[in-house]
Amino acid sequence: MTVDRARAVIVEFLQRANKEFGELTDDLSLYGGGLELDSLEAAELSAVLEDEFGSDPFSTGDTLPETVGEVLAFYNAA
Amino acid sequence: MGTTEAAPSHEPDVHYDRVHEAWRLILGSEFHYGYFVPSGIPLVDATAALTEQMLQRAGITPGARVLDVGCGTGHQSCQLASEHGAEVLGITTSGTGVAAATELAASRGLATARFEQRDGTANGLPDASFDVVWALESSHLMRDRKGLLSESARVLVPGGRFVLCDIIRRREIPFLEVRERRDEFALLRSVYGDAHMLPLDDYAAMLTEVGMEVDDLTDISDETLPTFAAWRANCEEHADEITRLIGADGLDEYVRSTHVLEAFWNDRTLGYGILRATKPA
Repeated sequence: MTVDRARAVIVEFLQRANKEFGELTDDLSLYGGGLELDSLEAAELSAVLEDEFGSDPFSTGDTLPETVGEVLAFYNAA
Repeated sequence: MGTTEAAPSHEPDVHYDRVHEAWRLILGSEFHYGYFVPSGIPLVDATAALTEQMLQRAGITPGARVLDVGCGTGHQSCQLASEHGAEVLGITTSGTGVAAATELAASRGLATARFEQRDGTANGLPDASFDVVWALESSHLMRDRKGLLSESARVLVPGGRFVLCDIIRRREIPFLEVRERRDEFALLRSVYGDAHMLPLDDYAAMLTEVGMEVDDLTDISDETLPTFAAWRANCEEHADEITRLIGADGLDEYVRSTHVLEAFWNDRTLGYGILRATKPA
Protein backbone atom coordinates (compact mmCIF):
# COMPACT_ATOMS: atom_id res chain seq x y z
CA MET A 1 0.00 0.00 0.00
CA THR A 2 1.17 3.50 -0.78
CA VAL A 3 0.80 4.57 2.81
CA ASP A 4 3.18 1.83 3.99
CA ARG A 5 5.74 2.84 1.40
CA ALA A 6 5.33 6.46 2.49
CA ARG A 7 6.02 5.44 6.07
CA ALA A 8 9.15 3.58 4.93
CA VAL A 9 10.35 6.62 2.98
CA ILE A 10 9.89 8.82 6.06
CA VAL A 11 11.81 6.35 8.25
CA GLU A 12 14.66 6.18 5.76
CA PHE A 13 14.76 9.96 5.53
CA LEU A 14 14.87 10.38 9.31
CA GLN A 15 17.66 7.83 9.64
CA ARG A 16 19.71 9.57 6.98
CA ALA A 17 19.14 12.93 8.70
CA ASN A 18 20.37 11.46 12.01
CA LYS A 19 17.04 12.18 13.68
CA GLU A 20 16.15 10.39 16.85
CA PHE A 21 12.67 8.96 16.76
CA GLY A 22 10.61 6.18 18.23
CA GLU A 23 7.35 4.93 16.84
CA LEU A 24 5.88 7.08 14.07
CA THR A 25 2.46 7.59 15.58
CA ASP A 26 -0.12 9.58 13.63
CA ASP A 27 -0.17 12.43 16.12
CA LEU A 28 3.62 12.83 16.24
CA SER A 29 4.52 16.41 15.26
CA LEU A 30 6.95 16.85 12.40
CA TYR A 31 8.33 19.92 14.13
CA GLY A 32 8.88 21.12 17.70
CA GLY A 33 8.04 18.60 20.40
CA GLY A 34 8.11 15.78 17.84
CA LEU A 35 10.59 15.02 15.09
CA GLU A 36 12.07 18.53 15.37
CA LEU A 37 12.40 19.02 11.62
CA ASP A 38 13.49 22.49 10.60
CA SER A 39 12.24 24.14 7.42
CA LEU A 40 15.12 22.80 5.33
CA GLU A 41 14.59 19.26 6.59
CA ALA A 42 10.86 19.52 5.88
CA ALA A 43 11.72 20.75 2.37
CA GLU A 44 14.06 17.81 1.90
CA LEU A 45 11.42 15.35 3.11
CA SER A 46 8.97 16.96 0.73
CA ALA A 47 11.36 16.46 -2.18
CA VAL A 48 12.12 12.84 -1.23
CA LEU A 49 8.41 12.04 -1.11
CA GLU A 50 7.81 13.70 -4.44
CA ASP A 51 10.69 11.78 -6.01
CA GLU A 52 9.14 8.53 -4.77
CA PHE A 53 5.46 9.15 -5.42
CA GLY A 54 5.27 11.98 -7.95
CA SER A 55 3.47 14.26 -5.51
CA ASP A 56 3.78 15.22 -1.87
CA PRO A 57 1.57 16.87 0.74
CA PHE A 58 3.97 19.76 1.37
CA SER A 59 4.00 21.24 -2.11
CA THR A 60 0.63 20.24 -3.52
CA GLY A 61 -1.63 20.26 -0.49
CA ASP A 62 -3.67 23.26 0.57
CA THR A 63 -1.96 23.47 3.95
CA LEU A 64 1.38 22.19 5.15
CA PRO A 65 1.15 18.95 7.13
CA GLU A 66 1.94 19.26 10.82
CA THR A 67 2.02 15.61 11.86
CA VAL A 68 3.15 12.23 10.59
CA GLY A 69 -0.51 11.25 10.29
CA GLU A 70 -1.25 14.20 8.02
CA VAL A 71 1.58 13.18 5.67
CA LEU A 72 0.36 9.59 5.58
CA ALA A 73 -3.26 10.65 5.10
CA PHE A 74 -2.24 12.38 1.86
CA TYR A 75 -1.17 9.03 0.45
CA ASN A 76 -4.08 7.18 2.01
CA ALA A 77 -6.45 9.49 0.20
CA ALA A 78 -4.52 9.26 -3.03
CA MET B 1 30.53 21.90 8.17
CA GLY B 2 30.43 18.28 7.47
CA THR B 3 33.39 18.25 5.21
CA THR B 4 34.36 15.23 3.20
CA GLU B 5 36.04 12.31 4.99
CA ALA B 6 34.39 11.82 8.37
CA ALA B 7 30.72 11.07 8.81
CA PRO B 8 28.87 14.37 8.71
CA SER B 9 27.73 15.70 12.00
CA HIS B 10 25.95 18.95 12.66
CA GLU B 11 27.08 19.19 16.27
CA PRO B 12 28.86 22.51 16.81
CA ASP B 13 31.82 21.02 18.68
CA VAL B 14 32.60 18.28 16.16
CA HIS B 15 32.10 20.77 13.38
CA TYR B 16 34.54 23.28 14.76
CA ASP B 17 37.15 20.76 15.82
CA ARG B 18 37.37 19.20 12.39
CA VAL B 19 37.73 22.18 10.13
CA HIS B 20 39.36 24.67 12.42
CA GLU B 21 42.74 24.65 10.77
CA ALA B 22 41.40 25.14 7.25
CA TRP B 23 39.09 27.89 8.41
CA ARG B 24 41.95 29.76 10.02
CA LEU B 25 43.52 30.09 6.59
CA ILE B 26 40.27 31.24 5.01
CA LEU B 27 38.76 33.43 7.73
CA GLY B 28 41.93 34.69 9.40
CA SER B 29 42.86 34.37 13.05
CA GLU B 30 39.81 36.28 14.31
CA PHE B 31 37.53 33.69 12.78
CA HIS B 32 34.54 35.85 11.99
CA TYR B 33 33.07 38.23 9.42
CA GLY B 34 34.62 41.57 8.60
CA TYR B 35 33.19 45.08 8.92
CA PHE B 36 34.54 46.80 5.83
CA VAL B 37 34.48 50.44 6.88
CA PRO B 38 36.14 52.27 5.22
CA SER B 39 35.50 50.15 2.16
CA GLY B 40 38.44 48.40 0.59
CA ILE B 41 40.29 47.63 3.82
CA PRO B 42 41.92 44.18 4.09
CA LEU B 43 40.10 41.32 5.85
CA VAL B 44 42.40 41.42 8.86
CA ASP B 45 41.50 45.07 9.47
CA ALA B 46 37.83 44.41 8.77
CA THR B 47 37.59 41.59 11.32
CA ALA B 48 39.27 43.87 13.84
CA ALA B 49 36.74 46.57 12.91
CA LEU B 50 33.84 44.20 13.63
CA THR B 51 35.34 43.43 17.04
CA GLU B 52 35.66 47.20 17.53
CA GLN B 53 31.93 47.60 16.80
CA MET B 54 31.24 45.12 19.59
CA LEU B 55 33.71 46.87 21.92
CA GLN B 56 32.07 50.25 21.37
CA ARG B 57 28.76 48.78 22.47
CA ALA B 58 30.15 46.72 25.33
CA GLY B 59 31.95 49.60 27.01
CA ILE B 60 34.40 47.28 28.78
CA THR B 61 36.36 48.98 31.56
CA PRO B 62 39.45 47.57 33.34
CA GLY B 63 38.45 44.87 35.80
CA ALA B 64 35.09 44.23 34.13
CA ARG B 65 33.95 40.62 34.36
CA VAL B 66 33.15 39.45 30.83
CA LEU B 67 31.49 36.20 29.75
CA ASP B 68 32.44 35.31 26.17
CA VAL B 69 29.72 32.91 24.98
CA GLY B 70 30.84 30.66 22.14
CA CYS B 71 34.45 31.74 22.56
CA GLY B 72 35.86 29.55 19.78
CA THR B 73 39.60 29.30 20.25
CA GLY B 74 39.80 32.25 22.59
CA HIS B 75 41.13 35.00 20.35
CA GLN B 76 38.60 37.62 21.44
CA SER B 77 38.67 36.59 25.09
CA CYS B 78 42.43 37.05 25.16
CA GLN B 79 42.14 40.38 23.42
CA LEU B 80 39.51 41.59 25.90
CA ALA B 81 41.78 40.55 28.76
CA SER B 82 45.07 41.87 27.38
CA GLU B 83 43.97 45.09 25.69
CA HIS B 84 41.00 46.09 27.82
CA GLY B 85 41.89 44.73 31.24
CA ALA B 86 38.80 42.55 31.45
CA GLU B 87 38.55 39.40 33.54
CA VAL B 88 37.19 37.02 30.95
CA LEU B 89 35.55 33.62 31.16
CA GLY B 90 35.23 32.09 27.69
CA ILE B 91 32.80 29.22 27.26
CA THR B 92 32.31 26.85 24.35
CA THR B 93 30.79 23.40 23.86
CA SER B 94 34.04 22.31 22.18
CA GLY B 95 36.65 20.61 24.35
CA THR B 96 39.23 21.25 21.66
CA GLY B 97 38.26 24.92 21.70
CA VAL B 98 38.80 25.11 25.47
CA ALA B 99 42.21 23.45 25.15
CA ALA B 100 43.31 25.73 22.31
CA ALA B 101 42.04 28.85 24.06
CA THR B 102 43.70 27.90 27.36
CA GLU B 103 46.96 27.36 25.51
CA LEU B 104 46.62 30.71 23.75
CA ALA B 105 46.07 32.52 27.06
CA ALA B 106 49.05 30.72 28.62
CA SER B 107 51.28 31.58 25.69
CA ARG B 108 50.44 35.22 26.25
CA GLY B 109 50.88 34.96 30.00
CA LEU B 110 47.25 35.97 30.56
CA ALA B 111 45.87 34.88 33.92
CA THR B 112 42.72 36.93 33.39
CA ALA B 113 41.35 34.88 30.48
CA ARG B 114 39.99 31.49 31.58
CA PHE B 115 38.08 28.92 29.55
CA GLU B 116 35.53 26.28 30.44
CA GLN B 117 33.48 23.78 28.47
CA ARG B 118 29.93 24.99 28.99
CA ASP B 119 26.76 25.43 26.95
CA GLY B 120 25.69 29.04 26.47
CA THR B 121 22.02 28.05 26.52
CA ALA B 122 22.34 26.51 30.03
CA ASN B 123 25.60 27.85 31.38
CA GLY B 124 25.35 26.81 35.04
CA LEU B 125 27.09 30.00 36.19
CA PRO B 126 25.95 32.04 39.22
CA ASP B 127 23.33 34.78 38.89
CA ALA B 128 24.55 38.36 38.53
CA SER B 129 28.21 37.44 38.13
CA PHE B 130 29.22 39.32 34.97
CA ASP B 131 29.32 42.95 33.86
CA VAL B 132 29.26 42.12 30.16
CA VAL B 133 28.05 39.10 28.20
CA TRP B 134 29.64 38.96 24.76
CA ALA B 135 28.33 36.71 21.96
CA LEU B 136 30.28 37.25 18.76
CA GLU B 137 28.87 35.24 15.85
CA SER B 138 28.14 32.20 17.96
CA SER B 139 24.38 32.35 18.44
CA HIS B 140 23.40 30.99 15.02
CA LEU B 141 24.62 27.54 16.05
CA MET B 142 22.55 27.52 19.25
CA ARG B 143 19.15 26.00 18.57
CA ASP B 144 17.77 27.21 21.92
CA ARG B 145 18.13 30.93 21.28
CA LYS B 146 15.75 31.82 24.07
CA GLY B 147 17.96 29.81 26.44
CA LEU B 148 21.01 31.78 25.34
CA LEU B 149 19.32 35.13 25.90
CA SER B 150 17.65 34.27 29.22
CA GLU B 151 20.87 32.74 30.58
CA SER B 152 22.83 35.78 29.46
CA ALA B 153 20.35 38.07 31.19
CA ARG B 154 20.45 35.95 34.34
CA VAL B 155 24.22 36.08 34.81
CA LEU B 156 24.47 39.83 34.22
CA VAL B 157 24.60 42.24 37.14
CA PRO B 158 21.96 45.00 37.14
CA GLY B 159 23.23 47.61 34.69
CA GLY B 160 25.26 44.95 32.87
CA ARG B 161 25.39 44.79 29.10
CA PHE B 162 24.71 42.07 26.56
CA VAL B 163 26.32 42.51 23.14
CA LEU B 164 25.80 40.19 20.21
CA CYS B 165 26.57 40.14 16.53
CA ASP B 166 25.65 37.41 14.11
CA ILE B 167 24.24 36.34 10.78
CA ILE B 168 20.54 37.19 10.61
CA ARG B 169 17.53 36.37 8.48
CA ARG B 170 16.11 39.47 6.87
CA ARG B 171 12.77 38.17 5.63
CA GLU B 172 10.39 35.26 5.87
CA ILE B 173 11.43 32.51 3.50
CA PRO B 174 8.26 30.72 2.28
CA PHE B 175 8.30 26.94 2.42
CA LEU B 176 8.22 26.51 -1.34
CA GLU B 177 11.23 28.79 -1.68
CA VAL B 178 13.16 26.76 0.91
CA ARG B 179 12.22 23.69 -1.11
CA GLU B 180 13.26 25.32 -4.37
CA ARG B 181 16.61 26.48 -2.96
CA ARG B 182 17.19 23.44 -0.73
CA ASP B 183 20.48 22.57 -2.42
CA GLU B 184 21.83 26.00 -1.52
CA PHE B 185 20.62 25.72 2.07
CA ALA B 186 21.98 22.18 2.31
CA LEU B 187 25.37 23.39 1.08
CA LEU B 188 25.42 26.03 3.82
CA ARG B 189 24.49 23.40 6.41
CA SER B 190 27.22 21.12 5.13
CA VAL B 191 29.82 23.86 5.32
CA TYR B 192 28.81 25.86 8.39
CA GLY B 193 26.92 23.37 10.54
CA ASP B 194 23.32 23.31 11.69
CA ALA B 195 22.81 27.05 11.74
CA HIS B 196 19.51 28.81 12.31
CA MET B 197 19.25 32.46 11.50
CA LEU B 198 16.70 34.74 13.15
CA PRO B 199 15.65 38.30 12.34
CA LEU B 200 17.20 41.01 14.52
CA ASP B 201 13.71 41.88 15.72
CA ASP B 202 13.28 38.36 17.09
CA TYR B 203 16.39 38.79 19.21
CA ALA B 204 15.03 42.11 20.44
CA ALA B 205 11.64 40.62 21.30
CA MET B 206 13.18 37.72 23.21
CA LEU B 207 15.55 40.01 25.10
CA THR B 208 12.65 42.25 26.08
CA GLU B 209 10.78 39.16 27.22
CA VAL B 210 13.59 38.26 29.62
CA GLY B 211 13.62 41.76 31.08
CA MET B 212 16.45 43.34 29.11
CA GLU B 213 16.31 46.83 27.62
CA VAL B 214 17.40 46.72 23.99
CA ASP B 215 19.22 49.97 23.29
CA ASP B 216 20.82 49.24 19.94
CA LEU B 217 19.79 47.10 16.98
CA THR B 218 21.79 47.67 13.80
CA ASP B 219 21.75 45.92 10.45
CA ILE B 220 25.32 45.83 9.14
CA SER B 221 24.69 43.58 6.15
CA ASP B 222 26.15 46.05 3.65
CA GLU B 223 29.29 46.55 5.75
CA THR B 224 29.89 42.79 6.01
CA LEU B 225 29.17 41.91 2.35
CA PRO B 226 32.81 42.18 1.14
CA THR B 227 33.69 39.36 3.55
CA PHE B 228 32.83 36.69 0.97
CA ALA B 229 35.17 38.01 -1.71
CA ALA B 230 37.92 38.19 0.93
CA TRP B 231 37.32 34.56 1.96
CA ARG B 232 37.46 33.47 -1.68
CA ALA B 233 40.74 35.31 -2.16
CA ASN B 234 42.15 33.38 0.81
CA CYS B 235 40.82 30.12 -0.63
CA GLU B 236 42.75 30.85 -3.78
CA GLU B 237 45.90 31.97 -2.03
CA HIS B 238 46.02 28.96 0.33
CA ALA B 239 44.40 26.41 -2.01
CA ASP B 240 47.12 23.77 -1.63
CA GLU B 241 47.15 23.79 2.14
CA ILE B 242 43.37 23.92 2.46
CA THR B 243 43.08 20.98 0.06
CA ARG B 244 45.52 19.03 2.22
CA LEU B 245 43.37 19.76 5.29
CA ILE B 246 39.82 19.30 4.02
CA GLY B 247 40.26 17.86 0.55
CA ALA B 248 39.54 19.32 -2.86
CA ASP B 249 35.82 18.72 -2.32
CA GLY B 250 35.93 20.58 0.98
CA LEU B 251 37.63 23.55 -0.63
CA ASP B 252 35.20 23.51 -3.55
CA GLU B 253 32.24 23.38 -1.17
CA TYR B 254 33.61 26.30 0.77
CA VAL B 255 34.11 28.46 -2.31
CA ARG B 256 30.60 27.63 -3.53
CA SER B 257 29.19 28.46 -0.09
CA THR B 258 30.65 31.96 -0.29
CA HIS B 259 28.80 32.53 -3.56
CA VAL B 260 25.55 31.24 -2.05
CA LEU B 261 25.92 33.50 0.98
CA GLU B 262 26.80 36.47 -1.19
CA ALA B 263 23.65 35.91 -3.25
CA PHE B 264 21.57 35.63 -0.06
CA TRP B 265 23.09 38.89 1.17
CA ASN B 266 22.38 40.59 -2.15
CA ASP B 267 18.75 39.46 -2.35
CA ARG B 268 18.24 40.47 1.30
CA THR B 269 17.47 36.95 2.51
CA LEU B 270 20.35 36.83 4.96
CA GLY B 271 22.56 39.50 6.41
CA TYR B 272 24.36 40.54 9.55
CA GLY B 273 23.24 42.33 12.66
CA ILE B 274 24.64 43.69 15.88
CA LEU B 275 22.82 44.62 19.06
CA ARG B 276 23.17 45.72 22.62
CA ALA B 277 20.82 45.26 25.55
CA THR B 278 21.16 46.42 29.13
CA LYS B 279 19.90 44.74 32.26
CA PRO B 280 17.85 47.34 34.16
CA ALA B 281 19.62 48.59 37.29
